[in-house]
This record gives sequence, structure tokens and C-alpha cells, in this order.
Amino acid sequence: MKTFFMAFLLLFLGSGPYPDADEILAKVDANMSARNRVFESTMTIHGRRNSRTITSRSWSEGDARSLTEYLSPAREAGTKMLKLEDRLWIYSPISDRTIQISGHMLRQSVMGSDLSYEDMMEDRKLTDLYEAEVTGEETLDGRATWVLTLTARVEDVAYQTRKVWVDQERFIPLKEELFAKNGQLLKRTELSDVVRVDGRWFPRTVLYKDMLKDGKGTEFHISEIKFDTEIPEYLFSKAALKQ
Amino acid sequence: MIHFLLKGILRDPKRSRLPIIVVSIGVFLTVLLSTWLGGVFGDMVDMNARFDTGHVKIMTRAYAENSAQLPNDLALLGVNDLIDSLETVYPDMDWTPRIRFGGLIDVPDEEGETRAQGPAGGLAVDLLSPDTREIERLDIRGSLVRGRMPETQGEALISDAFAQKLDLEPGEAITFFGSTMYGSMSFYNFTVVGTIRFGSVAMDRGTIIVDIEDARQALDMEDAAGEVLGYFAGGRYDDARAVALRSAFNAEIGERGDEFAPEMLALRDQNDLAGMMDYMDVVAELFVFIFVGAMAVVLWNTGLLGGLRRYTEFGIRLALGEAKGAIYRSLLMEAVLIGLIGSVIGTLAGLGLSAVIQHYGLDFGSMVPNTGMMLPTVYRTKITAQAFYIGFFPGVLSMLLGNALAGIGIYKRQTAQLFKELEV
Amino acid sequence: MLTFKLALKNLLGAGLRTWLNVAVLSFAFVLIIFYNGMIDGWNEQARRDTIEWDVGQGQLWHTDYDPYDPFTLQEAHGMAPAEAGLMPVLIVQATIYPEGRMMPVRLKGIPARQQTLALPTEALVPAGDETRIILGKRMAKSAGLAEGDRVLLRWRDQHGTFDAREVVIAQVFDTNVPNVDAGQVWIDLAVLQEMTGMPGEATMLVADQTYAGSAPEGWAFQTQDQLLTEIDTVIQSKKVGGSITYLMLLLIALLAIFDTQVLSIFRRQREIGTYIALGMTRREVIALFTVEGGANSLLAMAVGAVYGIPLMAWLAQAGIPMPAATDNVGLAVAEKIFPVYGLGLVLGTVALVTVAATIVSYMPARKIAYLRPTDALKGKIL
Repeated sequence: MKTFFMAFLLLFLGSGPYPDADEILAKVDANMSARNRVFESTMTIHGRRNSRTITSRSWSEGDARSLTEYLSPAREAGTKMLKLEDRLWIYSPISDRTIQISGHMLRQSVMGSDLSYEDMMEDRKLTDLYEAEVTGEETLDGRATWVLTLTARVEDVAYQTRKVWVDQERFIPLKEELFAKNGQLLKRTELSDVVRVDGRWFPRTVLYKDMLKDGKGTEFHISEIKFDTEIPEYLFSKAALKQ
Repeated sequence: MIHFLLKGILRDPKRSRLPIIVVSIGVFLTVLLSTWLGGVFGDMVDMNARFDTGHVKIMTRAYAENSAQLPNDLALLGVNDLIDSLETVYPDMDWTPRIRFGGLIDVPDEEGETRAQGPAGGLAVDLLSPDTREIERLDIRGSLVRGRMPETQGEALISDAFAQKLDLEPGEAITFFGSTMYGSMSFYNFTVVGTIRFGSVAMDRGTIIVDIEDARQALDMEDAAGEVLGYFAGGRYDDARAVALRSAFNAEIGERGDEFAPEMLALRDQNDLAGMMDYMDVVAELFVFIFVGAMAVVLWNTGLLGGLRRYTEFGIRLALGEAKGAIYRSLLMEAVLIGLIGSVIGTLAGLGLSAVIQHYGLDFGSMVPNTGMMLPTVYRTKITAQAFYIGFFPGVLSMLLGNALAGIGIYKRQTAQLFKELEV
Repeated sequence: MLTFKLALKNLLGAGLRTWLNVAVLSFAFVLIIFYNGMIDGWNEQARRDTIEWDVGQGQLWHTDYDPYDPFTLQEAHGMAPAEAGLMPVLIVQATIYPEGRMMPVRLKGIPARQQTLALPTEALVPAGDETRIILGKRMAKSAGLAEGDRVLLRWRDQHGTFDAREVVIAQVFDTNVPNVDAGQVWIDLAVLQEMTGMPGEATMLVADQTYAGSAPEGWAFQTQDQLLTEIDTVIQSKKVGGSITYLMLLLIALLAIFDTQVLSIFRRQREIGTYIALGMTRREVIALFTVEGGANSLLAMAVGAVYGIPLMAWLAQAGIPMPAATDNVGLAVAEKIFPVYGLGLVLGTVALVTVAATIVSYMPARKIAYLRPTDALKGKIL
């Protein structure tokens, strides 16, 4: 009887009273998002034949507005990408043209990476799109994480379910997997190199991988980031693209 | 003897003119038909060679495996060196790089913002080198609907239907937006200087033709190309040679070849063309055989007629005491001479006209409904080695046979009867 | 009638010379009929195959549908009109991943139990849990897939949400019609509608004989003839190209007749003189010689019929084998073409050959008009 009770207790404790998933996501949000961000990053794309690295500087305000300027290699330098809500413009200094990317083009990959424009454009909060639930605990690279399973509550999302591994102490995601409706794993994101910036924890390196394709994926590294600085309003305008 | 007969032939046009004319015309038609069949039966193969396969084509193996998806990231690199070495080893061939690509064509309004947009398939060929053969090979000039040919870099041609869809006039600017060989975004401005019609609905819906150097800049493909095509001199496909070339080339590369090493394919290795080519050969041979047979019969008849025409003359010569055998031999010699003269004239005329048609083509465009297809409505002859000798078989042999048959009559003639025939 | 009898008699009397001409002319005659018959047969086969496999009795397209622009597929679908005689087909863009390679395809949903097209859709009738697809041999070859293989298929539903599942290749079919083969795979319509969340929707509908022809709002009917225009064009161009060949053969035959006529008139001056002396007018003599030359064509037809009819009948039965080649123009080429010889073709050829032979016979005969009978009787002049 006593053993049975102990076993029951262990079982109960083991399946744990997990914290509320929405609470975790809220904390993640608080940690990750800011009024605005300015960062410099490098993106390394592993092709079938070679790899290449692109550096850029980005300004973003909330999730709705962002501007990215490519700095190198020389060929890309000066190319700017402006996102306002659900619209995307790209400006290239060589051709001195601004092109609006729309419709089916949004589903193409960005710069040959494993990310599509559409992946980049998603600006709605996860909590608005998904029903979250903590479904387990795991240790990743020595960090204890909550495993959150997110199920879409709206229809127009690209991925029906996601799994997010959230650091239990720092409240940043360390890994994310994106699934098709039937549960097929489509993409995996691994976040690492966590540093403390302006009082927040932030993963500086992100590895994206399209799981259906052969290949080594795309590596995204933030070399410098500032939160909540002053960003001039004109930066988020089409006129600024040409400057 | 021959000299004497030749004199006779030349000085007595009444006797020899008609046979020579008939032999000439017959041989002329035979030669023309042989080159025509070569051209017409080869047209499908030829179209493939011009637009797609080349006589031989070099790609990387990785590119070849996915070629339907235009995988320029797997394209050939070091193309200039490759072409240089090919030109050294095979100086009589024409080697030319091409790039196929896809992307978006964007038409700006006055503010430089997107006015119209559409997906396009691109073909980049050597348009601007002074010695380029590509314009002629793809019949680009002939396909112009509006505007003119590109003359400098940055000028492009787009399909006419596409231009209409985008509401674009020659002279207007467009921007190509796509991705480079390495996957980066690519922007490149072109001035549309002309519109073309290919005749294939799929291609007419959205194709842009640009100079290869423009494409290399636009797609970051300096010294690279999706494919390098090789063409034999004179634009004529020589299957045995192409196969030998391909085997030799691949054997040499094979040792150091990874999936990005160049690999050569002969025309027959592509698009399942081997079966088609073998078949066309058989059919063309069959047609030529039928035709030569028919021609032989006609010229045989001409020989027969020629012999018959001269019964009176033979009568007189017999009466004058010439031996029957001597007359018969001289008749045959004359037949050979007439056959040769006619065959030479006919062959020269046939080759001449064939060369003209090979160069300019016969345009049946007006006889074919104008919905357009990637089909030749311009037919061309194809001068082969065969064309140089094919006419002599019916020309000489049939004349000889006809005269030989007609001449048998000489031996049947009775001298007594001759005088009766001669009484005028 | 006398003229004709006499002409025929003269002609047959010339023996070998006549038969040589007749042989060549009969070649031309048979070849013209054969070549055109082959092209007509090809045309008929190409049209028939394309109708059976692809276009049916016409198609009703969603107004946004453009088969040449795959990007239109995202929008080009709607509730299938419930007219009789229409079979719905839903088309979406999808991606297959054979061995880690990414291949964009058009995923076409078709009712598994349809009878409208010749596609072997029975193989799509669902069995067990597996999702079945069928594809053509060209597609199978380019994707490196065979019957029984499994491949991962990824698509988006109507909201753009990704979905993926492993599908089984239930059948690889062999068709002459590249339009239902290259770059596409077929799946059961109900399955696709469920997969995409588009119940009852279609991109286009294929009509059968019972379709009345009304096109509801938002749909446009493409007639069978419109959909077959490309075939007609190819066939027309083949016809024109081939006509040169047999016209040259005909020309040779005519040359032979011309040559023969010139000789007959030369050798038979005395005969001509006699005719005129006996009271025939020059016109009658010219007519006689013209009919004589023209009668070559009648003999040629007779001779041509002797070997041509069995030969062509055999070919129409056995078919003419054609090579298997990828035709970039999308024209259906069967392994065998069965020539079709229409009445119009035969009569037209008869007329062409007869008229042409008569004309070349008349040309040298005109000389007779300038003949003085006295000279002719002596066998002089000309």
C-alpha cells in the first residue's frame, strides 16, 4: 500500500504540474521583443556547391515594420528590403528600381536560403495564432527546457503545428520545429550562442534547415544588436529605400 | 573518238539538246529532292539541335540531372577556358555558351514603381559577338515582330504576346528580378528593343532573350554557363562524329570528374532523339531510293527515245557501210557523254538551288494557320555528300540502259528496208 | 470516243516506253495518296488521343485558369458547376521530394471512377490508408520513380497551410499525350479536395457528349477545336512540307510524258499528215495526241491500284511504326500510325494527276497546229 502510494506520488510529480504555456510565451515575448531593434547580422547559406555569407543591418519596429540593408558582398551591398505590414518592397541600387514582391513570389526563398519571404514576413504574435500547451521537459545542451506544442487556432498559417523548446530559466527558445498538418516535420530552427544584451537574454545564432531537402541549411548570426533606440520614422518609407 | 562524239553532240543540238535537257532536269530534281528530304526529315532533329541539344552539349552532371529546373547553381564554371581548349582541339566546330534562367519581369511606371509584373523564362545566347552564329541558328531576326535586334548590352527581346500582356512597347525599360547563380537576389535593367514570336504557345507566353554577357552579369555567372553547345561546321549533324567526340571527351574528363565536371552529350543522347534519328534516316533513304528508281525509269525512257529518234540516221550510216557494232558502240558512248553532261549540269543546278534554299529557306508560313507552334514553317534543304553523286546513277546509267535497249534495233535492221525508209 | 480508243491503242502499242512512263506516274500517284493518308492518319490519331486523354469534348475553365502560368493556380478554382456531362478536375501546385530532390509538380485531382478521359484512374480508387497517385511515363522517368514507389508529397491547403504525406505510385501510365504527363501527378479528386479543404471545387471541367454547352458565371468554355488548334497546325505544316516531295516526283513523271510526247509527234509526222489528209481537223489531231498523253494517267491509276491498293490496305491494317521520341511541341505521336485514305484524297489525287498529265501532253501537241499536211505526209519539218 505504501509502495503503491509512493509510486502514485512519483507518477503525479513526474507528469508534473507544468507552468501555463501562455505564460511561458508571454515571458518569451517580453524577453525577445522590444519597441524596436537595430542589429547587424551575417547569414551563411550552405549550397550544394559552396557556401556564402551575406551581412546586413536591420531596423525593426515591433513586428510590422522593418528595413534591412545588405552590406556585403559587394554585389548585394546597398540592396534594401522594406516590409510594411504585409507588403514587401526590394530596392536595388544597381538597377535603381524598387520592386514590390507579391503573391506567389512571397513563397520563394530569400537569397537562396532555407527561409522564404513568407517566413520572414510573418508578423503576428505566436499567441494570436496558436494554442500553446506545455507537453514536456527536455535538456538541450545542458539547459533545462519546456517543450511547448503550438497548434494553430487560425486557418491562414503556413504551419499547422510547431514545437518550441524554451529555456526554463532565461525564457528564450532554443529550438523550434515546424510541422505540416499531418505531422510531417518540415523545418527546424536551432538557436544558440545566448548572450545578455541590455538586460535581456538573446540567442545570437540561428540555424534554419528545410528538413525535406538535402543540404546543410542556413546559418544566421547576429553580430551586434541594440534594443529600444531611436529610429527615425522616415526609415520605414519607400522614399528611404533610394537613399 | 570521244572528242569526235563530243563535237557531234555540241554541233548538232537538234539531236542532243532534248536528251541533255531532260537528263539535266531529272538529275536536278533528284539532287534537289535528296537535299530536300535531308532537310525536311531532319527538321525535327534540327530544331532540337538549334534550340536545345546542340550537336553536342556540355553540362555538369549535376545540372543535367535537374536540367528541367534550370539549376544554374550547378552550372559549368571556367567556361572561357573550356571553350578555348575545345576550339583548339576541334577548330572546325562552333562552341557557344547558353544560359537558361527564370525570374520575374517587372515594368516600372513613371515613378519607377511596379506597373506590371510577370514570370518569365529567359534564354541567354551570344547575341553581340561579331562572329556569333546564334542569331541565325535560332532564327531570331526572322522571328522579330516589332522593333529591332539588340545592338548593345542591356538590350533584350521579349515574346510579343508577353509584351502585350505587360502593355510594353519596344524602347521601354524593364527590370529582371530573379536570383543569381549563388541564390542572391538579382536585379538587372534591360531596354526592350524588339518583340519576337517563336510559334510555341508556352514560349510565347513569357520569354526574354538577352545577350549572354548580360545574363552573366545579372546572374553573377562570370565565366559560367548552364550549357555549352557545340555545332559542326555548316550546321550539319554528323552522328558518328558526335558520338565519337562525346566518348573521347568524357573519357578524358572521367578520371577527374566530380558531379560538377563537364560532361558531354551527343544530340542522340538527348530528348530520346536516337530512335527518331535512326527512323528518319531509314525513311529518307527509302524516299531517295523510290525517287532515284523513278528517275532511272524516266531517263531510261529518255535514252530509249533518244535512240529511237535516230533510227533514220543509223539507217544512213548502215547504208554507208558502217559496221553495226561500231554504230552501237558510238551510240552508247554518246549516251554516256550525254548522261554525264546532263548529270553535271543537273547536279550543279540542283546543288545551286539547294544551297540557296539551305541558306534562305522556303517559307510556308502563309500556308500554315497562324496560331504558331515551335515548328519550322521555313523549310530548308540540307546538302549532304550524297547530293554530289546521287544524280549520276539515274543520269548516266539510265541513259546508257535506255540507249542500249533502243540500239538493239540497229542489229535488226535489214539493209533492204533501209532504202525504203530513206526514200523521202 | 473514237479518239479515246485510238489514243489508248496507240499508247499501248508503244510498249515499253509507255509502261516506263506509267510506272513512274503510278509511283507518284501512290505516293501522294500514301503520304497524305499517313498524315491524315496521324492527324486523326493525334486528335483522337488528345481528345481521349486530355481535352474531351471541350473544357470549362475557371476564368482565372491559365495552363501556362502555374502561379494562377492559387486563385483559379471555385465551386464546380453542377451541369450534366462535366467532370471536375482540381489543380494545385505541390512539391514532391524523390530522394531529397525537390520537384515542383502540378497535382491534379480527378474522380477515380471517371469515364470521360482515358487516364487509368481506377488505380486511384482508395484502398486502405495509403494515398495513391498515378503519373505518366515521362514524369516517372524525370522523377526517377516507378510503380509501387513511395514519395513525399507537400502541398498547401486553401489557407496556405503546409501539409505533407507519403503517397504511393499506384500506376505509371503510358500515353502519347505529353499534356497529361509531363510535370504533373494525378490523385483522386475527393482526396485532393479533402487534402486542400476545397470540397466541391474544381479548376476546370472536362466535358463529355452529354454536356449541353452552357458556361456559368466565372467559367469559360474552351471548345474542342480551340484546344486542338496546335495539333491542326503541326499537321498542316507537315502536309505542306511533304507536298514538295511528292510534287517533285510528279514533276519527274510529267517530264517523262512530255519527253515521250515530243518524240511521238516527231516520229509520227507521217501519221499526223495522214490523219489530216483523211479529213481530221488539226484540233482533232491535237486532241488525239493530248488524250493519248493524258491516258498515261489512266493507265498509271490502274497500275498504281494493282500494287498500291494491297500495299496501302496492308499499311492501314498493320500501321506504320513511329519512333518514340520526346516531342517538344506536345503533339501526340503514337507508336504506330494508321494511314487513312479519304475519298476526297483519292479523287483529288486522280484529278491532279490526270489534269497535269493532260496539260504536259497538250503542250508539245500544239505544234501540230502549224503543220502543213503535205510536209507532214512526207515526214519532214518539225
